[in-house]
Amino acid sequence: MIRIRAPQEIAAGLFLIALASFVFWQTDDLTVGTMRALGPGMMPRALATACGLCGGALVILSFLKDGASLEHWSIRGPLFILGAAIVFGLAIRPLGLFVAGPAAVIIGSLAARDSRFVESILFAAVMTTFCWLLFKVLLSLPIPVAPWLLGY
Amino acid sequence: MKQALAVVAVATATLTAATAATSTARAQNYPTRPITMIVPFAAGGPTDVTARIVGENMSKTLAQQIVIENVTGAGGTTGITRGAQAAPNGYTIMMGHMGTHGAAPALYPKLRYDPTKDFEPVGMAAGTPILIVARKDYPAKDLKEFIAVLKTQQDKANEAHAGVGSVSFTTCTMFNVMIGVKPTRVPYTGTGPVINDMIAGKVDYACDQIVNLVPQIQAGNIRAYAIATPERSPALPEVPTTKEAGLPDYQVSAWNAVFAPKNTPKPVVEKLNAALVKALDDPGTRKRLLDLGGVLPEGEARTSAWLGEYVAQEVARWTPILKAGGAVQADSG
Amino acid sequence: MDSFIGNLELGFSTALSLQNIALCFAGCLIGTLVGILPGVGPIATIAILLPLTFQVDPIGALIMLAGIYYGAQYGGSTTAILVNIPGEATSVVTTLDGHQMARNGRAGIALGIAAIGSFFAGTVATLVIAALGVPLTRLALVFGPAEYFSLMVLGLAFAVVLARGSILRAGAVIFIGLLLATVGTDLQTGDERLTLGMVDLMDGIDFAVLAMGLFGFAEILRNLDNPETRDVVQAKIGKLLPSKADFKQAALPVVRGTLLGGALGILPGNGAVLGPFASYTLEKKISRTPRRFGNGAIEGVAGLESANNAGAQTAFIPLLTLGIPPNAVMALMVGAMTIHGIIPGPQVMTKTPGLFWGMIASMWLGNLMLLIINLPLIGLWVRLLKVPYRLMFPAILLFCCIGIYSINNDPSDVLLTAFFGFAGYAFYRFGFEPAPLLLGFVLGKLMEEKLRQALILSRGDFGTFVTSPVSAGLLLLAVLVIVVAIIPTVRKGREEAFQE
Repeated sequence: MIRIRAPQEIAAGLFLIALASFVFWQTDDLTVGTMRALGPGMMPRALATACGLCGGALVILSFLKDGASLEHWSIRGPLFILGAAIVFGLAIRPLGLFVAGPAAVIIGSLAARDSRFVESILFAAVMTTFCWLLFKVLLSLPIPVAPWLLGY
Repeated sequence: MKQALAVVAVATATLTAATAATSTARAQNYPTRPITMIVPFAAGGPTDVTARIVGENMSKTLAQQIVIENVTGAGGTTGITRGAQAAPNGYTIMMGHMGTHGAAPALYPKLRYDPTKDFEPVGMAAGTPILIVARKDYPAKDLKEFIAVLKTQQDKANEAHAGVGSVSFTTCTMFNVMIGVKPTRVPYTGTGPVINDMIAGKVDYACDQIVNLVPQIQAGNIRAYAIATPERSPALPEVPTTKEAGLPDYQVSAWNAVFAPKNTPKPVVEKLNAALVKALDDPGTRKRLLDLGGVLPEGEARTSAWLGEYVAQEVARWTPILKAGGAVQADSG
Repeated sequence: MDSFIGNLELGFSTALSLQNIALCFAGCLIGTLVGILPGVGPIATIAILLPLTFQVDPIGALIMLAGIYYGAQYGGSTTAILVNIPGEATSVVTTLDGHQMARNGRAGIALGIAAIGSFFAGTVATLVIAALGVPLTRLALVFGPAEYFSLMVLGLAFAVVLARGSILRAGAVIFIGLLLATVGTDLQTGDERLTLGMVDLMDGIDFAVLAMGLFGFAEILRNLDNPETRDVVQAKIGKLLPSKADFKQAALPVVRGTLLGGALGILPGNGAVLGPFASYTLEKKISRTPRRFGNGAIEGVAGLESANNAGAQTAFIPLLTLGIPPNAVMALMVGAMTIHGIIPGPQVMTKTPGLFWGMIASMWLGNLMLLIINLPLIGLWVRLLKVPYRLMFPAILLFCCIGIYSINNDPSDVLLTAFFGFAGYAFYRFGFEPAPLLLGFVLGKLMEEKLRQALILSRGDFGTFVTSPVSAGLLLLAVLVIVVAIIPTVRKGREEAFQE
């Protein structure tokens, strides 16, 4: 009975192989060229091949040596943190810092189990004001503040 | 129900009238807050420097700060796309250039704007002449000899450029096509490395803007064969013009001009044009632009109408040249 | 020798005017701040503050702008040590041992050694520029595409040594970094590579976007998964300044780092980025206890901070002597000089000696000021670590978002960072470390560019990499470095085989 002795290794290896395949698929239309005249496709494909080989090696090793087990992926963290960043990105130009900032802070703080709601809101207000002072007033970076309210 | 409709109708009419009134009123009071000028190239480069010099003076005339925003990418087209899609209220303008409003349609098949249709031209700012330069010990005394040597060398000659879509790339494509030479083109990222390797003698020649080259030529690190303008530049008086040196058809300048998004109200465009012309007349601003080797527009060339026609001419000029030079990408998806 | 002292006198008399001291201080302060803030970098700041300098004379303006640049190096290390987020490409390696030192309660010591080591490096670099500026420029001209490529290969060899885990995994991650560097528009043909049709990827992936995602966001996700370890970190504060024993350990690495970083900073095309990597690898290899590296070894911080700062200063050499900017920040300085009516070039030194020597003198002053600014701040930073994590991480999140947006005023950059944040978390689950990836990414762009340029110039002849003595030497060194790195693993493998 073949047993996977290092689940993390095989996961990593399969990921690399998947990545390599993806690159090969995406660079299908690029000329590879020859060793004498490198084309645009040469480097990405060569590197993808290297990645794929490493992936293959990891997969093989995962059957031969003991290794770490694959830990469980949490959903809460990535969802709220990355979600907060995405919301910020989508909101910053139309709605400005005064909306995107608090949104990012409040949504982000939901990622921690010990966050308190009222505290987050207060903190969001404080942080947004601080960021406004720092980035907009002091460093004069062209960040939209509240286009729907102030016009800039 | 009828009452509700009436209320809505009155409200809409009032709002429309109010917006119309305020927008004309706004045009008269324009500008009431800082104006953003998008520069589609990295800070510190010739277009950026021109924009800052001109913008500083325009800020004084308009009594509002002109804030430069660098949005780089794809040979300048990313920034111009952003500018073209901005609200046409006069608070976003952009510094376009020979590449973004002349060569871009030929170089980028998926271009998301039309230089002749999607903008209100404001006015020409300044142009930087192009120089034909080579490494200092290249075996040719003058332009005629240089062209003769290149014709025999063909792909043995190494021409350096700052990347597909850059000024050095498009202008040298034109040069190569004009003299009938197909050199080996060596791509670099930016003018700095090009100059570096030329000083070190690793590449043979290039066509680039005068700004970057003046000190190197004056110090004798690089040699200049000709300048592609009708008159010699005061910064480099010993360099002959292409007319004098035997290639009169090669007239190129990397021009920089101010544009506003299409449908920007006429009074706003006129105010901007007036401020731009005032900047070009200001002795301090003129001096700084001329010190860079810039060529300033005079008379009719300062009007918005002239710029509109010029852009159309440039687009018509560059498309066949770039196609002939093999610079146009095949439609790859 | 007379003229050397005379020049220094001229320099200091220019730099010590009340106005110039104030401008230098302002620049350093802003630079430190900018370095600390993730995403916001010296390029954006210098570009924004440029109009403010119009009121001032050129020398004063350049002094302030230069202060922003090398001040940012100091600040970038602070975030790297405290929160494992590299502010600049040069601070990536600082995260390895610097942050571990913070986790061991030695944050103050790490920050202190970083500041003091940087000051020493700055002083030496200033002297070097003053004495050897011109001859050193000629060194830069020796490096053509072939030599550069070999230097990059050597850099990759360093990256393999840098890795903490298995070499196979490190290699894979480096390859991924190199792969990410190919995303964008092809140099020669203009074809789009791996851009997935997105306009924002047409110019490639921004370093800050990758770093913030892989380090910043992923780090937050990691900490949220392990609440026990992060609370322990906050409990320990420890001493604030390095002890005598710490100094003794750090002294030689500082000297070595200064020399390495200073030498690499001169090379055009961002050679300065290699300085910290080279220093870290060197220290790890010659140390008698290499196991400590990656777990908070002070040599791992001291050496590379000095390399960092020395590189930042010597990067001014090609700018001031030849007028050719070695990296993007210097290109901006070229613009600044041009706007002020000074065309940078070989004659700047002879035509405006006040500018040249004044800048050099003020660079040393700036280093002194940065030391004075940063040392007292250490207490503040360390206390900041005590803030409960549930408040700290949303703050870091917000700073990162704003910082990333401000690079190109492009919201898609923020979205892309979120993607890399997820990728970083995935890497963590797969057991990959992100630092070698960033190194691969930084080197990858330059490497491919130089490889193709070299082959174009040699018409496809690979011999060009060995016919040049400099290039051959560097390649040989790279091979040696990799062999030396692999030997212990091979030996261990054989031992295990024998035991069974």
